[in-house]
Amino acid sequence: MDIIVAKNIWKNYKIPYEKRNTLFETLYGLLDTKMGYESFTALKDINFTVKKGEWLGVIGHNGSGKSTLLKIIAKTIRPTKGNITVNGKITSFLELGIGFQPDLTAKENIKIYGAIMGLSNTEIEKRIDGILEFGGLIRFKDTKIKNFSSGMIVRLAFSTAVQIEPEILLLDEVLAVGDLDFQKKCFEVFDRYREMDKTVVYVSHDLSTVQRFCDKVLLLNHGEQIGIGSPEEMISLYQSIV
Amino acid sequence: MIKNLWKYRNLVKRLAFSDFKVRYKNSVLGFFWSLLEPLLMLLVLYIVFADIFPSTQENFHLFLLLGIALWDFFAKGTSMGLHAILSKPGMVRQVYIPREILIFSSSLTALMMAVLELVVFGIFMAISGLMPTSTIIYLPLIFIIIFILVFGFSLALGALNTYYRDVQYIWAVILQAGFFASGVFIDFSAYDADLKRTLLLNPMARILLISRDCVLYNKAVSTQDLTFCLVSALVILLVGYFIFSKLEPGFAEEV
Repeated sequence: MDIIVAKNIWKNYKIPYEKRNTLFETLYGLLDTKMGYESFTALKDINFTVKKGEWLGVIGHNGSGKSTLLKIIAKTIRPTKGNITVNGKITSFLELGIGFQPDLTAKENIKIYGAIMGLSNTEIEKRIDGILEFGGLIRFKDTKIKNFSSGMIVRLAFSTAVQIEPEILLLDEVLAVGDLDFQKKCFEVFDRYREMDKTVVYVSHDLSTVQRFCDKVLLLNHGEQIGIGSPEEMISLYQSIV
Repeated sequence: MIKNLWKYRNLVKRLAFSDFKVRYKNSVLGFFWSLLEPLLMLLVLYIVFADIFPSTQENFHLFLLLGIALWDFFAKGTSMGLHAILSKPGMVRQVYIPREILIFSSSLTALMMAVLELVVFGIFMAISGLMPTSTIIYLPLIFIIIFILVFGFSLALGALNTYYRDVQYIWAVILQAGFFASGVFIDFSAYDADLKRTLLLNPMARILLISRDCVLYNKAVSTQDLTFCLVSALVILLVGYFIFSKLEPGFAEEV
């Protein structure tokens, strides 16, 4: 079954020469007849499908559109053109976070995230300890997130995301932020997800993990889809265009 | 929209309660602030209008306090709605939820605060020896109407403020004017018909008038007044939703 289907995805950003963030600036800008922005195409005609249980790796240079693509799959931003269909509940790990609020405690944030994912109160309560333990944060369960270090926030976000066991998981550079211990835990989760037949979209610069876990790889370069195919093939293609 | 709110009702509840808690947890006096604030406001207005410009209004302090409580519901509710999107950047950029949930839960938080203020008002009313009469049954309906107004304005303001950050300052000025135009400390019913008709085009002015009638003066609310308030609230909700849904797709890029 196709879990994610992307058809002709385009994303254009307007980059204003001067960012107009207020009504007055905008009104003033209307008098200014010069075109106030330049257009930047972050994604050009991207097409792929991901089947159930498949891992799709996305690789490419910085600025090649990987994160933009992930946000489009997660629906937080919309494509300028094209269609994306997603069948199933997504947990996305974008910009190293999952929407935590700094003024709430770790526990409260987990509960809110559980509610976002449609879990009932009892289901959430059942998982809280497991989540905190996985992140090594039991001691801090009643500490506000704003007092967490950045590493702690990422750990908490990641363990919340994976322990809730979504059908589809979108991961953006998780490994880059953790220490070796955390990476080991990540790999354990990855192995478990492979066994459980979860669908994953994995964005990373770490080609060895892409090779190890992904079934197929999408290679992007300056927003263009260079190719989609087996990890070996795409990684060597990527290395040849460096 | 209603389908989304229902589907995520668990989240709506959690967000509304956690906002409510956060508002009061961070201050020494805790949630007493929400009670103290309208009382201090009452004190100021009461001194001005009882001693300096005497009012002939019967039970003037209750007249004032009810006006303040209901106006606060509107003013705080819309101001909170205005920040509802911008104040939770993570929930816009890092996860996908239907964004009207953020606005709706902020309106719910405002409703909870308003109920608290109403309790304070009730205590004052009891102390003053004034017992509510049967006409008070209109009050829940009036609360619902204000809630719709708050939600409608919040949808528009929350969305606009995400794109144009100065909307908050413009709205603050409008609220300031509205405080006077809605008759928080003036009884419009004494004005001559023409002026009254114009002033009462403002739904908040009419709401304050009818709620005082039913809570303090044992007067039934006319269907015409209720209909006017309800219809204008629904129109604002529709317009607000229209603006919101036009701007919503770009939120993650603007937050």
